[in-house]
Amino acid sequence: MVSIRGHPSSLQVAKLIKKRHMKLNPTSPLARKIFGRTIRAFSISFWVMVIAFALMRVTPGDPASARLGAGAEEEAIEALREQLGLNVNPFQQFFNYLGDLSRGDLGTSLVSGISVGEIIFNTFPLTLTYIAFSFLFAFLISVPIGVLIGWSNKASWVYSFRTFTSIVIATPNFFIAMVAILFFSVQRDWAPVFGYEPGFPGNMRYLWLPIAINTLILLSIISRVLLASVIDTRSEEFVETGIIRGVSRIRFFWFYILKPSLAPTIVLMSYMMGTMLGATVILETIFSLPGIGRELVSAVLASDYPVVQGTLIFFGVITVFLSFFGDLFAYLLDRRVKL
Amino acid sequence: MIKQIREYAALPGGFGIIVGVSMFLSISILGFARPLLIPYAPDELIGDGLAAPSWDHPFGLDQLGRDVLSRTLAAVPADIGVAFLGVSIPLFIGTVIGILLAFAKNRVFLSLVGSIIDGINAFPLLIIAIAMVTFLGPGLFNVVIVLALMNWARYARISRTRATIVLRENYVEAARLMGYPRRRIIFKHVTPNVSSETLAYALSDFILVIVIISGLSFLGLGARPPAAEWGSMIADGRVFLGEAWWITVFPGIALCWSAISISLIVEGLSRRDRAN
Amino acid sequence: MTKVLAEIRDLRIDVRVTRRLRLRIVDTASLVINKGQLLGLIGESGSGKTMLCRALVGTLNRRGAYIQSGSIDFEGIDLVNASKKDWRSIRGHKIGYIPQSALAGPNPVMRIGAQLAEAVTQRGRKSKDEVRRRSLELLELVQIRRPEVVLKQYPYELSGGMKQRVMIACAIAQNPKLIVADEPTTGLDVTVQAEIMELLSKIRKEFDTSIILVSHDLQLINSICDDIVVMHAGATIEKLPSSKVTSALHPYTHALYDSRIDLVEPRGKLRTIKGQPPSVGKWPTGCRFADRCDFVKDVCRSTDPAPFMQVDDSQWSACIRHKEIYGGAK
Repeated sequence: MVSIRGHPSSLQVAKLIKKRHMKLNPTSPLARKIFGRTIRAFSISFWVMVIAFALMRVTPGDPASARLGAGAEEEAIEALREQLGLNVNPFQQFFNYLGDLSRGDLGTSLVSGISVGEIIFNTFPLTLTYIAFSFLFAFLISVPIGVLIGWSNKASWVYSFRTFTSIVIATPNFFIAMVAILFFSVQRDWAPVFGYEPGFPGNMRYLWLPIAINTLILLSIISRVLLASVIDTRSEEFVETGIIRGVSRIRFFWFYILKPSLAPTIVLMSYMMGTMLGATVILETIFSLPGIGRELVSAVLASDYPVVQGTLIFFGVITVFLSFFGDLFAYLLDRRVKL
Repeated sequence: MIKQIREYAALPGGFGIIVGVSMFLSISILGFARPLLIPYAPDELIGDGLAAPSWDHPFGLDQLGRDVLSRTLAAVPADIGVAFLGVSIPLFIGTVIGILLAFAKNRVFLSLVGSIIDGINAFPLLIIAIAMVTFLGPGLFNVVIVLALMNWARYARISRTRATIVLRENYVEAARLMGYPRRRIIFKHVTPNVSSETLAYALSDFILVIVIISGLSFLGLGARPPAAEWGSMIADGRVFLGEAWWITVFPGIALCWSAISISLIVEGLSRRDRAN
Repeated sequence: MTKVLAEIRDLRIDVRVTRRLRLRIVDTASLVINKGQLLGLIGESGSGKTMLCRALVGTLNRRGAYIQSGSIDFEGIDLVNASKKDWRSIRGHKIGYIPQSALAGPNPVMRIGAQLAEAVTQRGRKSKDEVRRRSLELLELVQIRRPEVVLKQYPYELSGGMKQRVMIACAIAQNPKLIVADEPTTGLDVTVQAEIMELLSKIRKEFDTSIILVSHDLQLINSICDDIVVMHAGATIEKLPSSKVTSALHPYTHALYDSRIDLVEPRGKLRTIKGQPPSVGKWPTGCRFADRCDFVKDVCRSTDPAPFMQVDDSQWSACIRHKEIYGGAK
């Protein structure tokens, strides 16, 4: 998880900066906290970029020769190194790197010559689409299940549910995919084995199975956390007070059952977004979906290091900010969350 | 002995733990004892490819005519063994670094290092592994290196958070006040406390790491042919899914078996925790 | 017009621990509360006092507990077999509840204003202005300064004392006939404790509300309650006016009184009650205080169950030897 709770120094740093801009915002505690966390999100993103940079250069093996292959000529390798800006010293490289990044230039693909930014722009929407759908469905299904089972407090239901979900979670997603393909595509013709056709509604034919698989996995993870949270909420004293006060059913469901239980789920979901991005790599390879995951894999196989680096940064920064917004949203929902 | 097991199983969560441990031990032992058990070598080309499961070859033959059962078991050292390394090394490094960080006083330094660790954690492990393999090249050994380099940060985070809490605990304060000889003694308090949490995480992490190893191999970035490894076997069998499902399914089941066994142990342990 | 508001008679409560194991946690509890009376309910932890209250407000089944026998009568309504309709007329309207201060109190995900509004609008809709006016009025009643500010705040922004005041405000919102206050001051500062107790007294006086005040602190109860009911090991063992606590008719009450900490002289010895109350499920036959009693005789253990007897108008005792030991009521 990206957010570190209770990290005094970032707030102090934020305050230091704030001292210079005292006249700006009303310094309500909430505003200050949000400001502090925003600063922290940016600082983590900075390190994300540093790490992405470092990884691509620190690893043994030279990107240029990796790209051109073992038998390439010295001159070709040197030319490529020059093109990639690798022939200057590391600090200079870093400086160039930051400069490029600030202009939004993530580099250019060695394979296709298209800018990395454009590649991401072309491939990410698809990935985002099916991930978003998976999250939506998973959440919608998790809420009734988690609340029903958690609130009932029946040990047998809870136990069987946890066992079932732990099996689903433990199974690698590509195996679930294989079995699903075997069942749905090979033995029946309910889904194409792979491929993609852009544009709605044709794309649904290709997307429904990956979305279904993702949804299954996600809902196992999310509903477990929600379940645990609902069980905790159930034993709280304020719930008892709410019952005695005779609160209406709908109100009770939202304010006394669901809302106090959502915070851990929201935080988890924002964290899972990042993990899901990772998992898309495999799913997109299996289903041959032209999303960002598959792009990354082909870039790796082709040693197209600007694309790899650029995609890395993209994933990292997205995860940082998703996590931050998730924490923020959870805080707005439930003040017990430590921001 | 049976009586002790039965007693242990009666405790909350005990049943799951015992089942999980048995599952894990069974596949591990089978895997390491394969040379004694299976007459066929994992890379021995036996007959025509794509033979269906039979008495001689309970898991069938793959596309090159190798015995799938033999290969599935041969993959145990690769998957489980490498996963073990991929967890224990980051566990050790991360826990130690986390504890050291908890002792740091300089706030700027802490903030800095905290951000770096969060930066490392921001990358999904699979993604980082894939990226690094680009330049290290494929191979299980490289996978271990990648894991060691990147996964420690998650442990460090847990370890540091826990260590800071423990250091503020009363009994540590008491130990300091009583003039206990230096931090060695405090290590006796801090380390066990912190390790219990990181070990718990390590157990869940084991599942993730197995999936990463096999996932990488599946993508062609991990184990190199003709090495036997579940992920790459599943990938091999992908093309033949219709005609020869056994090439994919059996390694997959073995993979699930291992992951589920650990999952059951984790479940059982957390039930035990909650019951207390 | 009878002055009795609620009466609990010979109540037995069991709890379902596992599918096979049932435990009795309240065995023969009887209690009468009159209109406008401030009744204190005292007992050690595990004496069943909280469960008795839960039976009164109808939240037993949440914890797997249920009434095995006995009756609870509230204003003519039979609470043991009450229908959902009955409960709907009672909850929030006729019975109010103040939870233990140590256990968080107000709903942490709702603003104070929203919670008060909830309590205020239990019956029928009211206009937003009315609700706000009434909410502010309630907050002032419980002596919260700057109520307009508090309305917008979340519970985590309030101190323990303020949170309890808010809970009291919610409890009295609909002017209930009965308020059940379960250890409302445990864990609060002593000064805050005193203030809250005063508040409860004031509410009782102004609105003629009956209050059942549960506590383990005899001092506290003695200071403001009219009458006291003492519980031990799941049974009510004495009822007496608080003025008569020095001439109680049960050894346990005396022991409780004598073990007060303010009685100890400097460097003196603390008087304690020997032994521990018997744990649930391991209750001995006969009087459950027998092993800890200074006056125990064989007849104490053989009379089972120990009967809760009326001694005079205002005093009841479960000690069958009370006449011999104390010579009857004074």
